[in-house]
Amino acid sequence: MSFRIPCPNCGPRPTGEFRFGGETLRRPESKAADRDWVQYFYSRRNLAGEQTEWWYHKFGCRRWLIASRDTITNSVTASRWPQHQSTES
Amino acid sequence: MQPMRTGPRSGRLINRQRPIGFTIDGHPIEGFAGDTIGSAIAAAGIRTIARSFKYHRPRGLLCVAGRCPNCLVTADGTPNVRACTTPARDGMVVRSQNAWPSVEMDVMSVLDGAEKVLPVGFYYRSMHKPKGFWEAARPVLRRAGGLGSINPDPDMSLDYVHRSRHMDVVVVGGGESGTAAAAAAAAAGAKVILVDDQPHIGAGRPPHEERAIAAPVSGAQSIEVWSGSHAFGLYPDNLLTVLRGNEVMLVRADSMVLATGAHEVPFILPGNDLPGVMLASGAARLLHMYGVLPGYRAVVATLDQSGYDVAADLAQAGVEIAAVLDARASVPAFPATGRGLGLVETGATLVEATGRGRVRGALYRASDGQIREVRCDLLVMAGRLQPAAQLALQAGCGTRYDSGVGALVPCDPPAGIYLAGRLVGTADPGMSAEEGRRRGVEATLRASPTSANGMRGLCAPLMEPPMDGRSGKSFVCPCEDITVGDMRRATDEGFEDVQILKRYTTATMGPCQGGMCLRNFSETTAAMTRSTVVQKGLITMRPPAAPVPLGAMAGAGHMPVKTTPLHHRHISLGGRMVDSGGWQRAHSYGDPQAEAMAVRERVGIIDVSTLGKLDVRGDEAPRLLDFLYTNMMSNLKVGRVRYGVMCSEDGTALDDGTVTRLGQDSYFLTTTTGNIEFVEQWCKWWMESAGVAAVQLADATAGLAAVNVAGPLARQTLGGITTADLSPGAFPYMRAARAEVAGVPSLLMRIGFVGETGWEVHFPAEYADHVWNSICEAGEEHGIRPFGLEAQRILRLEKGHIIVNQDTDSISTPVELGMNWAVRMSKKDFVGRAGLRNATRRGPRSRLVGFEMDLTSPVPPDGAAIVDDGTPVGRVTSGRRSPTSGLPFGLAMIANRLALEGRQVQVMVDSDLWSATVRLTPMYDPKGERLRS
Repeated sequence: MSFRIPCPNCGPRPTGEFRFGGETLRRPESKAADRDWVQYFYSRRNLAGEQTEWWYHKFGCRRWLIASRDTITNSVTASRWPQHQSTES
Repeated sequence: MQPMRTGPRSGRLINRQRPIGFTIDGHPIEGFAGDTIGSAIAAAGIRTIARSFKYHRPRGLLCVAGRCPNCLVTADGTPNVRACTTPARDGMVVRSQNAWPSVEMDVMSVLDGAEKVLPVGFYYRSMHKPKGFWEAARPVLRRAGGLGSINPDPDMSLDYVHRSRHMDVVVVGGGESGTAAAAAAAAAGAKVILVDDQPHIGAGRPPHEERAIAAPVSGAQSIEVWSGSHAFGLYPDNLLTVLRGNEVMLVRADSMVLATGAHEVPFILPGNDLPGVMLASGAARLLHMYGVLPGYRAVVATLDQSGYDVAADLAQAGVEIAAVLDARASVPAFPATGRGLGLVETGATLVEATGRGRVRGALYRASDGQIREVRCDLLVMAGRLQPAAQLALQAGCGTRYDSGVGALVPCDPPAGIYLAGRLVGTADPGMSAEEGRRRGVEATLRASPTSANGMRGLCAPLMEPPMDGRSGKSFVCPCEDITVGDMRRATDEGFEDVQILKRYTTATMGPCQGGMCLRNFSETTAAMTRSTVVQKGLITMRPPAAPVPLGAMAGAGHMPVKTTPLHHRHISLGGRMVDSGGWQRAHSYGDPQAEAMAVRERVGIIDVSTLGKLDVRGDEAPRLLDFLYTNMMSNLKVGRVRYGVMCSEDGTALDDGTVTRLGQDSYFLTTTTGNIEFVEQWCKWWMESAGVAAVQLADATAGLAAVNVAGPLARQTLGGITTADLSPGAFPYMRAARAEVAGVPSLLMRIGFVGETGWEVHFPAEYADHVWNSICEAGEEHGIRPFGLEAQRILRLEKGHIIVNQDTDSISTPVELGMNWAVRMSKKDFVGRAGLRNATRRGPRSRLVGFEMDLTSPVPPDGAAIVDDGTPVGRVTSGRRSPTSGLPFGLAMIANRLALEGRQVQVMVDSDLWSATVRLTPMYDPKGERLRS
């Protein structure tokens, strides 16, 4: 794992400086059905291709960011600060 | 005795004025400063240096460039060192490997006839019956096969380090194209590193070539030349790993020029592994660099002009050239250097190296079809080239067939990677240099490279190489002892894909990582499957491209440790220090049971600076904590403390600790030791994803030291040195106050992890010594005693207080832990609510309960099985002996149906069953009267 992630604050940095936070998920409404919650707990899309995901810049600015990574090539095309991820799907 | 040493005219790397001496298997070897282990051994006239991996065949110098497995030895205790490139040092102790009693007389060489019994892939299909046979055979086979042995007592003085570098351009390979690329990139303004595995740029080449190659980079200010450095991995985003002495360099470059060239590999023919059979480049290196004659009487088999050059050099040094066998039917212009070289035959194909134990002759098919033999003690193979494509293929290059090289060469490099020189089939040195210059400039500008000539797939099917001869087997992969016969068997069994065939035979998987066998392997595969190398393709290349010691991979031999500001205090008190969540903590100061009793009867003090500490402020702080903890934190009154559990979304417990409300919008959190980073990241993640913006978090772990003073005399101990009123009415249980302790501004929290009246005192870390000493002085008359981690664990266990991740696992929710009291389901939403709702509805599958055993029972270790009616029903999560009752006791996770007060179960200790009684209330002070007093 030697690819680089462009941190919006620190610039491109090696993956080892970051903690992976998984793909972005939509959290169900608190009244949602069990089925939706179980999906949210345990199921992931596990995309082959462009995926938006969470990264935490552990050995840098210590902030969470959202990156778009191609899971096949590991190339990170874009990154940004998160803004209410719960509204994204 | 150096019978093979030449006159003073050759041997540029050795200093004949400085003799050195070392031993191999106890025999003294003489050499000169500048010699490698291998060159000195060769100078002594010894041909066999190692025994092969499986068949224990004798092996001698082949490549003299560190690319083949034929000379692995153990040098000064370090196994699998390549003798041919490792400098010899005076007094060195060298041992041969995989041979007994010696490499000359290895009894295991009977295995040379064992391919019928131990055919390729035997461990996949034979020896599995009768039952137990494999278990018996395995240790024998393990001993029989293999390489050097690892020294079980690591020499920590041999330390490896990892370093990172950032460059504009990195060039790998110090030949014509590599040096030209480096110079051109530097001229275009780039900072450049040139990585080369030879002792110096141009080493092993004739003097005039060497000067021409080195000229472009010598003295260039912005080029760092790393000689003797092995680039072994090329990872995404242009990260190159280079082994450089005891350093692993992690070099990140904007662009990278690969000019790794091509090197010679053996012909595939019977006896091709005999000592005395050498690559032409190897023979030349031995002669030019170390002044060692590779033999007395040589046969040179060549596919191109290069054989004549070597033959001429050998002849000049005094080697008798018995024959030059040129495989080409017609030689373009008869080489002038061919004169005076004895018999020169064109259209002559070498078919076998004859001899036992060492080469005695060369069998060849002359142009008239006749088989003839020439006697010799040195058989030189020239002109069979394999592109050193490992790094290019690791980078993700494609391949194309190059008819000039006669092999697949890399092409279509990904962005930021540039290829040049013989690696891509450019044969002419001048053209190589020109190509290098172009790539160097392109790499600097990151221009897209001008496309290479894209001829693909024009390659003829190959003849199947011969399987065996009089002198033995034809080796495809010398590292793993894979022969043409093995390949035949494997393809007959249906393994026809190169990737599968590689895994089945293990060819290309030995120490040289394809360095000697990649081409031979793919051509043999193609021939046997009646296909072409283009159709078959190449195996996937992965790091390392060159052998790297495990120590180098591991890096520096020290672990980062965290110590508290009271560390030296624990040491001076005789504390036994242990690792706890990355921190050094005192396990005990000699007698944990007595330390625990001191807390129960008098007063004790423990360093709890390792607790994670988080300062949380802001308008939305109450909302955030309500959302992250399972209970309410927004209704906590200022100056009060509450225990809290954080759960993951599916309801499993992640962390627990205390929450203290310092002000309307200000809280102080503690987390489990070692878990602060996780909790901080968890909080920040939810702030971002749930949109809670108006909160500031600050990790106060390192800035604050903390001690817990607990016991019936804790109030008397602390009372005299603090400005806080500690009387029961003024400072009840689960309250907090800011006050001075020994003059130091502190936060006092009355909590009771160990189950006694006590205060956790947090204060600036700088005052740790002063506060600790002051408390100990004040407690002296009350018999205060420092206690360690072990006493704390015993004491909390008597109270049934859990430690998350010790008494819980990744499926325990507060429902299983019997901690429903810490969950407020009436909150509209919080992290873990949905999971806990499910867990509550389904009920606990297992329960964390207390247990007690008889006085005569042993203390069950953590993890001991709980058994009921002969069936495992759970496990001990924490087991200790109670200092107050003397009984073995603890916490256990058991099936819910058994979680009944007084229920009898059994605990398995060393395969004996002991009875135990389930307890649902804490063993000590079940009503909490002492805690609250």
